[in-house]
Amino acid sequence: MIEEPYRWVEAIANRREYIEDQLRRGSPIVLLNYADGLLLMTVSRETRKIFEVYDRIGFAALGHPADIERMRLIAIDLAHMEGFNRAVNDVSLRRLVSFSMSPALKGAFEQVYGPPFIVKMLLAELGDDPEHDSIVKLDYDGSMGRSEIEMKEPFDVVAGTAEAEQQMLNYLVDNNGNRKRSLEEALKLAAQTWTVGMEIAERTGQAEGDETKSEEIDTVKVLKETLKSRHVEAAVLDRNRPASSKFRLLDEKEIRAALKDL
Amino acid sequence: MDHPNPLPQFLHDGDFLGVLKAHGYEVAPRLAAAAATFADGAHHGTIATEGTTVLAVKFKDGVLVAGDRRATAGNMVMYERAEKLITIDSHSVLAIAGVPAVAFEMARVLEHSFKYYQRSQLQEMSTAGKVRSLSKLLKENLPLTLQGVGMVVPLFATYEQDNGKDGGGKVYFYDALGAQFEGVDYAASGSGSPAVRSVLHYLNTYGGKPLAKFNESEMIVTALRLLDTAADTDTATSGYNPKSNIFPIVRVITQDGVHEISETDLAKAYRSDT
Repeated sequence: MIEEPYRWVEAIANRREYIEDQLRRGSPIVLLNYADGLLLMTVSRETRKIFEVYDRIGFAALGHPADIERMRLIAIDLAHMEGFNRAVNDVSLRRLVSFSMSPALKGAFEQVYGPPFIVKMLLAELGDDPEHDSIVKLDYDGSMGRSEIEMKEPFDVVAGTAEAEQQMLNYLVDNNGNRKRSLEEALKLAAQTWTVGMEIAERTGQAEGDETKSEEIDTVKVLKETLKSRHVEAAVLDRNRPASSKFRLLDEKEIRAALKDL
Repeated sequence: MDHPNPLPQFLHDGDFLGVLKAHGYEVAPRLAAAAATFADGAHHGTIATEGTTVLAVKFKDGVLVAGDRRATAGNMVMYERAEKLITIDSHSVLAIAGVPAVAFEMARVLEHSFKYYQRSQLQEMSTAGKVRSLSKLLKENLPLTLQGVGMVVPLFATYEQDNGKDGGGKVYFYDALGAQFEGVDYAASGSGSPAVRSVLHYLNTYGGKPLAKFNESEMIVTALRLLDTAADTDTATSGYNPKSNIFPIVRVITQDGVHEISETDLAKAYRSDT
């Protein structure tokens, strides 16, 4: 089949369609700056979606749990090898992604006889100050494109569809008033942004051409409904954490307290 | 047909040493070759640098770990500011006696092993697992130990919190071949350790109150006195060096984690002493 270039292009296009279809209803992820660092947030059913890669690097993904796990272990292996062979400060997200994770994803995606990764990732690296934080959005085909808004802003999102991502970003731009927001405020904003993304991703599947705007969504109501069967998962990269690792998974009590008067 | 696998197979058991080896890392064989040459040199006056006295004692709130600062090569003082305590994770300290070249490498492997396990397996390694990891590394180092040039005899002190249960402070010591022993109340290693152990035994048995009842400041004063006592007869051990103002390194491990005692506090402890 792939002897002919045209067939290969077709196979890749089919594969893209298949993967995007699989990802469509994935739980969105929000990355948001707050006073002490960066917050990663999503809503999950059972399996964890937010992980620590290294002292200053956090990882969140949507997609197939086995593929998330494979990408996570690749990142952890490489980061620890680098930290061991050189020094902790030599572990950099940029190198990790562009020299290892991205080529691995592209390779798997384009070899049409092998299994691709069904996964979309958001990675964050905490710098010494907010200007040196870095955010990487990594797609199933290895691409790392961030849009113009994303490049400018200290926040980012991934969701199952491009439309959902766009609406979430719009929502964040509209509500991004206080950059020195507390962790509680950040959690609230992240949870509302998540709701916008999930609603739009789910509605796109149902009625073609029926466009929903983020203003039309009652985020509080939808979120409360969602949290009956799922739970909020969140972690921070906290600049003020005394330990060498800046990553901390928030516990349920903390999350519940922040979201109770939503 | 065989599907091409775009990625190498990764180990999923959280064993960092395994990952290192899969990437071609080998400590013992490479160093052993160098050591063989080195051992030859020993007859002509080249002697490996060695670090000396370290001790770990359980007290009321956890464990205190202390080490003097001197590194020697034969009868020569190489360095008066050596750091023989290495904090491995939030609640563990490795105290090394022996050849720093090997010991620091071991500490690096260990530190990354614990981090790697915790991050890849999403759970903390148990105390028994940590103790065993160090034992494995010592066994890896066997070729060097047998040649008598890369011997390391460490202490491992930790505060046990397996499954959220408070297990209290723990002290482990090793022999150079990698056998591990748990110290009931204390452990010491290095050339000054016989003196330290004798005094600790005396204090614990006939001192009026057992070491486990000491509070933190009492234990700090005791540790400083012990290192001075060891330095009195062992030239390879330094106590407090007033001329250059060099203090031993003292850390305490409690439920809250590892905490280094500042030089100001050590100076205060010395003053209360005289």
